[in-house]
Parts: sequence; C-alpha cells; structure tokens
Amino acid sequence: MASEEASRSPRRSRREPEGRAPRQDKYSVLLPTYNERENLPLIVWLLVKSFSESGINYEIIIIDDGSPDGTRDVAEQLEKIYGSDKIHHVKYLISSVLLRPREKKLGLGTAYIHGMKHATGNYIIIMDADLSHHPKFIPEFIRKQKEGNFDIVSGTRYKGNGGVYGWDLKRKIISRGANFITQILLRPGASDLTGSFRLYRKEVLQKLIEKCVSKGYVFQMEMIVRARQLNYTIGEVPISFVDRVYGESKLGGNEIVSFLKGLLTLFATT
Amino acid sequence: MATGTDQVVGLGLVAVSLVIFTYYTAWVILLPFIDSQHVIHKYFLPRAYAVAIPLAAGLLLLLFVGVFITYVMLKNQKVTKKAQ
Repeated sequence: MASEEASRSPRRSRREPEGRAPRQDKYSVLLPTYNERENLPLIVWLLVKSFSESGINYEIIIIDDGSPDGTRDVAEQLEKIYGSDKIHHVKYLISSVLLRPREKKLGLGTAYIHGMKHATGNYIIIMDADLSHHPKFIPEFIRKQKEGNFDIVSGTRYKGNGGVYGWDLKRKIISRGANFITQILLRPGASDLTGSFRLYRKEVLQKLIEKCVSKGYVFQMEMIVRARQLNYTIGEVPISFVDRVYGESKLGGNEIVSFLKGLLTLFATT
Repeated sequence: MATGTDQVVGLGLVAVSLVIFTYYTAWVILLPFIDSQHVIHKYFLPRAYAVAIPLAAGLLLLLFVGVFITYVMLKNQKVTKKAQ
C-alpha cells in the first residue's frame, strides 16, 4: 500500500526520486475544519488519491477549530490509518467562552498560522474541507506553478472553463458584480479574489499572513492584493467550485455590506 | 456551462447593453454630422437628454445603494440591540 511505503521512508523534504526527475518539493495541504465530520474522510481520500496517482510528495495538515461534532476524533483516526507522516492533526481551540456558529471564518488566518508551524513542505496548498474544492485540480496547480515559476497559483472561477455549480442566477450575478467592482477598484491582476483554493510557496504565505489584517473572505482578497504589492507572481488555474452548503444560506444584505466595507478598506489602505 | 435560463438571461443582458450602446453612440457621435432636416432625427430625443438621462440614472443608482446600505446597517443595529 502506498501509505506503508510512505511511513518507511524518512519524513524530510528531500526524497529519493521514484524514477522521475529529482523531486525535492513537498506539498503541505492545510485543511481548516469546523464540523466536517462527514466530509473529512472523503476529502482526505480524494487528496491521497490525486497525490499518489501523480507521484507527488505531500502531507495533509488538519486544523480543527474545536468542532463540537467529533471532527477531531475522525481526524485522529485518519491519522492512524494513513500514517502520521502523511496526515498531521493539529488541535486548536478558540479560547472563547461561546463558540458561535460562524467562528471558523474568523479563525482562518490563525488556523493557517498554526498549520504552517507544523508544515514540513516547501509549498502550501489551502482549500476548503467541505468538498467545494476538488483535489483533482491540485496536480494542475503544481504543473502551472512549475511552468511559470509562480509564487502563488490561484484557482479561478471566472476564467477559462472555471465556474460554479449549485448557485442560482441571483447568486451568480452578485458574485460577478462583486468581482467586477473589485477589479475596478483594486486592479489585482487576478481574476478571482475571494477564492480560497490556492497554492503558495511556504515563505510567501508566511510573509503575507503577517501583513494581512482582515477577516473572513476579505482576508483572501487581501492576500492577493498584498501579494501584488510585494511583487509576487500569481498564476491562475480554472477550477470548478461546487457549492452545496453556502448556496443554501442565502447571501444576505449583511454579507454584501461587510464585503463592500472590506473592499473599501482595502482600496483605501493599499 | 451555465444552465439554460442563465444563458438566456446572460444573452438578454448582452443584447440590451448592445442596443443601449449603439443608440447612445449614434445619438451623441453620429447625429451632429447629419443634416438637421434628415428624417432620422425624429427617432432621437433632444441632445440635452443625452447628458441628463445618464446623470439621473447614476444618481438613482447611488441613491439605491445608499438606501440599501442604510437599511442593512439599521437592521444590524436592531439585531445587536436585541441580542444585548
């Protein structure tokens, strides 16, 4: 089994090539989770499958936000099954008294910081753990990164054959409208700013997280804008985003206004 | 690929913008060069409206956005007051 072979080899970023060009690159996937007990085994299996099929050196880091549904136990079991050199579970609790339902969106930056502390790869992949991002795109990200030696590769829903499944017309229009306004105001050089399916060089991600101050998906936007400021190169790969969860919770006026506020803040400060 | 209705709506939007664009371009750029006795002038409003209409539309848009944002923020305040 691939996992047994993996646990025998040393856990370092330099590895013996498996009949290919020398591969010293290791890709750490950061999975921040909150109440993903059912999706977690699926996403891990899909990740292991894509990586093994392409012969890529990887590790998966699960950062659980103190989920009350038992995600932590699932993560620990997965760690035992696949071997703790391939899956690393980082426990991480928000030390607040009340765990509000949307807390995880606020904790994203902190989750990444914690995850990176345990990452031994030289590239970091961030994605959603709720199956809205399919790991099959990861080898394309990697290929694109090597093609242009990019610092960041971002999955885009607005270019090429990228798109969204599961949104109604109103949601799509709002999304396109928001992206349009963002392009005008920020001129970011990337077509999808709020996407969270990305590949970063490890040092680039560390530098960017230090500089970013926003929360939620404005955080993802700020990462790209700051990256442009620091003259990092950004490549894009079209991806399909499958929304089965957030499509149901309608995009309320509240979120539109907080998006606009975040956008204006970014516009004013960068 | 976008679903059926989405494509129709998209095409509709493109068509409407094309129409508005051609009409406005003809109005502002072509008509001044056409003899004022020509019959085509019957289809276009007096030139003053070429400025007034977009201006009014822009103001209406700003008004709508302002009202929307105020409404959402007020609703937010009421919710937080209730939570307290």
